[in-house]
Amino acid sequence: MTPAEATIEATIEELFGARIAKEVPEVAGRALAAEVRERIARTGYTRYALYDRGSYDVCAAPDEPALLGALAALAMKETGRELHVVEARVLRLRAGDYLLAHHDVLRARNPVEVMLELSPRGVPGAEVHYRRRGQVYFACGGTPGAASIVERGPSVSCNHTYVSRQYPDAEIVRLIALLTEPA
Amino acid sequence: MWQLPADEAPLARAWQTATPFPHLVIDDLVAVAELPALLEILDEEGVEPYSGDLFAFDATAPEPKTAELRAVRAAFGAALAGPLSRITGKPVARADLRAYAYRVGHYLLPHSDHQEGLERLLAFAYYLPTPEPPRGGELELYRCTVGPDGEYAATESALVIEARPNRLVVFDVSDVSLHQVREVLGGLRLSLAGWFYA
Repeated sequence: MTPAEATIEATIEELFGARIAKEVPEVAGRALAAEVRERIARTGYTRYALYDRGSYDVCAAPDEPALLGALAALAMKETGRELHVVEARVLRLRAGDYLLAHHDVLRARNPVEVMLELSPRGVPGAEVHYRRRGQVYFACGGTPGAASIVERGPSVSCNHTYVSRQYPDAEIVRLIALLTEPA
Repeated sequence: MWQLPADEAPLARAWQTATPFPHLVIDDLVAVAELPALLEILDEEGVEPYSGDLFAFDATAPEPKTAELRAVRAAFGAALAGPLSRITGKPVARADLRAYAYRVGHYLLPHSDHQEGLERLLAFAYYLPTPEPPRGGELELYRCTVGPDGEYAATESALVIEARPNRLVVFDVSDVSLHQVREVLGGLRLSLAGWFYA
């Protein structure tokens, strides 16, 4: 293999290589999820309403060190990588809410995204879609208590699907943490 | 088949003064006796499901499969391009269209239709009668505030237009022509929709 071929292969691996994208069930029980939802609600949400990008509530700095530590441990176990949390936020979506893929931030350097579904109950069609070059390759969310673990690449984007108004009482709550290897 | 009111001056005034961005709402566009033939053409064409993060609906293919729908497209553009050019001040010459069927749970989230290189000047939707009129499925227009960086700084709902049968809605295509089709919660919303080009 020439150096040029090796570079091309590395680039292809970086863009398309198989990475972990999985959902782990029953990471958080109903009682814990309810407690966290209540704490986050007390901390407070901010409404995001630039409708060409998304419509949702966000808590940008959840004070949940123990839970985030547990999610980091889970991510390290599943990926075999040394990881620490660099960002965390909680999204709350109700009927009519969504977050579009072009609102998502593309991530270089293959961080790991862990998302814990804290919703009290599933809502049909309310999912999180990870896309590579626009095409959905992993769908998750919707299962209360489950955590998804996704190693992101530079071509991966993510959207939270539209929550149907057929379910007027829908409440989707997702804790999302971004993890990287220590510098 | 396609005929705008003969007096264009009121329409031009309505276009210029419409908010949150220029648009027209014209009812009774087609003689009622001509609607069954139009519906028969769409029935022959057939629709397929389309979905993405922005939308979920059934639609005909981007290029009509039948000569009859191609003829509808050509006639629609030929009949309306001239009057709409005069009314809106935008020099349009041809139209592209597809038929859309929004069933329960279908939607099209907020977007502007404006894309560099596509040269869309006007957007339109013409609503057709259905056995069960839609609950929901309205066209919603947004007022957008643009920040110094050219990005939206704020967006808010400004107008909701009912998808009434035999109604034509025409609206400007620009960076701020943000609009959506609200989720259909019952019945069926059938339309012809597309864009006028130079």
